[in-house]
Amino acid sequence: MPELFVSGLSHKTAPIAVREQLAVEEDKLREILVDVHGAGVLSEVVILSTCNRVEVYGVADVPGEARALAFRRLGQHRGVDLAQVEPLLYTKSGTEAVQHCFRVAASLDSMLLGEPQILGQVKDAFALAQDCQAVGPLLHHLWTQAFAVAKKVRTETELARHAVSVSYAAVELARKIFGTLEGKAVLLIGAGKMSELAAKHLVDQGAFPIYVTNRTWARAQEMARALAGTAVPFGARAETLGTVDIVITSTGAPEPIVRRADVERCLQGRRSRPLFFIDIGVPRDVEPGVNELEAVFCYDIDDLRQVVESNLRERLREAQKAEALVEREVAKFTARAQDLEVVPTIVSLRERLEAIRRGEVERAYGILPNADAQTRRAIEAMSQAIVNKILHAPTVKLRELSRGGHVRSWTEMVHELFGLGGRGEEK
Amino acid sequence: MNLILFDSALVGYLLATVLALVHLVQRQEAIYRLAVLATLAGWVLHTLALVVRGVEVGRPPLGTLVEAMSVVGWAAVLLTLWAERQYRVKVLGAFVLPLVALSGVSGAWLPPGFRDLAPALRNAWISVHVILAMLGIAAFVLNFVGGVMYLLQEHQLKAKRPGALYYRLPSLETLDRMTYRALTLGFPFLTLGLLLGALWARTAWGSVFAFDPLALFSFLAWLVYAATLGGRAVAGWRGRRAAYFAVVGFGVLLLTLGAGLLLPGRHGS
Repeated sequence: MPELFVSGLSHKTAPIAVREQLAVEEDKLREILVDVHGAGVLSEVVILSTCNRVEVYGVADVPGEARALAFRRLGQHRGVDLAQVEPLLYTKSGTEAVQHCFRVAASLDSMLLGEPQILGQVKDAFALAQDCQAVGPLLHHLWTQAFAVAKKVRTETELARHAVSVSYAAVELARKIFGTLEGKAVLLIGAGKMSELAAKHLVDQGAFPIYVTNRTWARAQEMARALAGTAVPFGARAETLGTVDIVITSTGAPEPIVRRADVERCLQGRRSRPLFFIDIGVPRDVEPGVNELEAVFCYDIDDLRQVVESNLRERLREAQKAEALVEREVAKFTARAQDLEVVPTIVSLRERLEAIRRGEVERAYGILPNADAQTRRAIEAMSQAIVNKILHAPTVKLRELSRGGHVRSWTEMVHELFGLGGRGEEK
Repeated sequence: MNLILFDSALVGYLLATVLALVHLVQRQEAIYRLAVLATLAGWVLHTLALVVRGVEVGRPPLGTLVEAMSVVGWAAVLLTLWAERQYRVKVLGAFVLPLVALSGVSGAWLPPGFRDLAPALRNAWISVHVILAMLGIAAFVLNFVGGVMYLLQEHQLKAKRPGALYYRLPSLETLDRMTYRALTLGFPFLTLGLLLGALWARTAWGSVFAFDPLALFSFLAWLVYAATLGGRAVAGWRGRRAAYFAVVGFGVLLLTLGAGLLLPGRHGS
C-alpha cells in the first residue's frame, strides 16, 4: 500500500550553506521532477524548493527509498553527496505529513511567521508538478486542501495582519490614526531608502498630494517625479507642515530640522486635525517634544522598531490560534482520506450482493413465468430490502473503523469473506 | 410574567457581556458571533418585557426611574448593534454591554415601587418627555463609550507601546466620527425631551426647575453637550477635547441619575 510522505530540510534543520546547494530554479527543477517521477519509485511527487526549504512530497511504497532517490538527484545538480545531506533531512508520513504540508502553506513553518510569499511558492511548486504529470489523486487532494487551509488561516486569524517591517509599521500606524489614507497629504523631507519606501506604501494606499523637499533642489525634483508629487523649497518646509497630515523625515542633518516651535505654530490653523511624524533620520530630524503636542504623533526609528517587535509578538499569539485551526483541518482531512480508503471495499461489496440478487431474481422469474407486474414489484422490493439490510451493519462498521485507523486488516477480511478479489482491484 | 422576561433579558445581556469580553481578549470570530446572538436574544426579550409590562400596568413602561433606565439600556443595545456594523467596531459591545448589564442588575436590585413617578406626572405628555430624554441618553451612552475608546487608543499611540488594546481598537478617526455621530443623534432628542418637561413644569407648577435636582442636573448635562456640539461645529473641536467632553457630559448624566435616586424632588419620591 503506497504511503504519503514528506522529506526535506528547512531553515530549521539545515544551514544556508546546504540549502543553497540544493535549491534549484524552475527549469532545472522541472528536469529533476521528471527524472524522479520517471524512476518509478514514487507514484506521485511534488518538489518545493525555496531559499528556506527544499522538500519532496510523495506517494511511495517505500518512502525511504524514494527519499534517497529524490535527494540524490537534487544533490547531483551541484555535486552534493547524499551522505552529506541525509543527516539533515526530516521525514514525516501519513497524518504528520499532512500536517506539515498545511503548516508550510499557512506560513506557520516560515522563518518569518505569516510571511505571504510562501503560499505563492507552494502554488508554483504544485503547478509545476502538475505540468510534469507527477501529481495523482492523493497529492492533488492534499495540496488543494492546503491552499484552502492557508486561506482560512489568513482570513480567520491575524497571523499576517500586523506589519513586521519598519516602513509598513509606519503605514499601519498612520491607518490607526487616520482610518483611511485616501486623500491624506504627505510631506517627505530628505531622501533615504526606507523613507521613500514608506512614502510609496502611503501612495499605494491613496495618500495624496505628496510634497517633497530636500536641501538639494535637484534631488527634491527628482524624487517628486518618482512619487508623482510636488517639489517644495527646503526653506518652506515649516509652512508646508500646516497643510499636510503625514510627515516623513530622513535627512543626515546633525540636529533637528523640524522644531517644536514650528509645529506649534502650524497647529493653530489645523483645528486638532492629527499630524503624524515618521522620523527615520539618525540623528533624529524632529524635536522629540513634538509628540507631547495635542493631536501630534511622532515616531522615531526606535519607536517604529518597538512597534515591529510588538507586532511580532502579536503574530506569535495568533500563531497558536492558527495551529489549532490547522490541527482541526488535518483531522478532517485524514478522516476523509480514511473514508475514501473504505469506499472501494463498500462499493465492491454492494456490487457483489447486487449481482447475486439480480441472478436470483432472474431465476425466480424463470420459475414464475406468469407473474404479474405486482408480483414482480414485490419480488424486486423484497430482494432489495434483504440486500440493504445485510449491507447496513458492515457499511456503518467499516466507516467507523476507518476513523479508528485500523481499516486495512478489516477491508482485507471483508474481501476474503465475500470473495471480492484482491485489494489490487481497488486501485 | 414580565419579571421573568426582564430577568431572561438580563441573563442574555450578562451572557453577551461575558462573550464580548472574551472576544475582546481572544478575538475569535465564532465568539463574536455568539456574543451578537446573545445580545440579540437579550434585546428581543427586553422588547417583549417592556411591551408586556406596558400592557399589564396599562400605561407606557416609563413610570419609574428603573423603567426609564431600562428603556435607556434597550435603546443603547440597539444603537450598539447598529454602530458595530456601521463603523466596523466589533469591540464596541465589550464596552457598552457591561454598562447595560450593570444598570439592569442594579435596577433589578432596587425594591419595587422605589422612586415611582409622582402620580400627578402620569400622562401622555410626560411619557413623551421621558421617552425622548431616554433615547437621547442612550445615544450619549454610545458617545461616552466612543470617547473612552478614543482616549484609550490615543494614549496607546502617544505612549508608542502598542498593547493589547491598540490592536483591538479601531482608528482614532473612526472613533471620533462615531462619537460625533452619537452626539448629533442624541442631542435633538435630549433637547426636545427637556423642552417638553420644562414646558409642562411651567404650566403645572409655574416654574421650570422648581426645587427639582434632577431637572437642574439634566439641564447642566444639556449645557455640556450643547457646548461640545457648538465647539465641534463652529471651532472644529475634535479628537481628545471632544472625547473629554463626552466623558464629562456622561458624568453629569450619572449625577442626574444619582440626584433622581437620592435627592427629594418633584420627579418622584
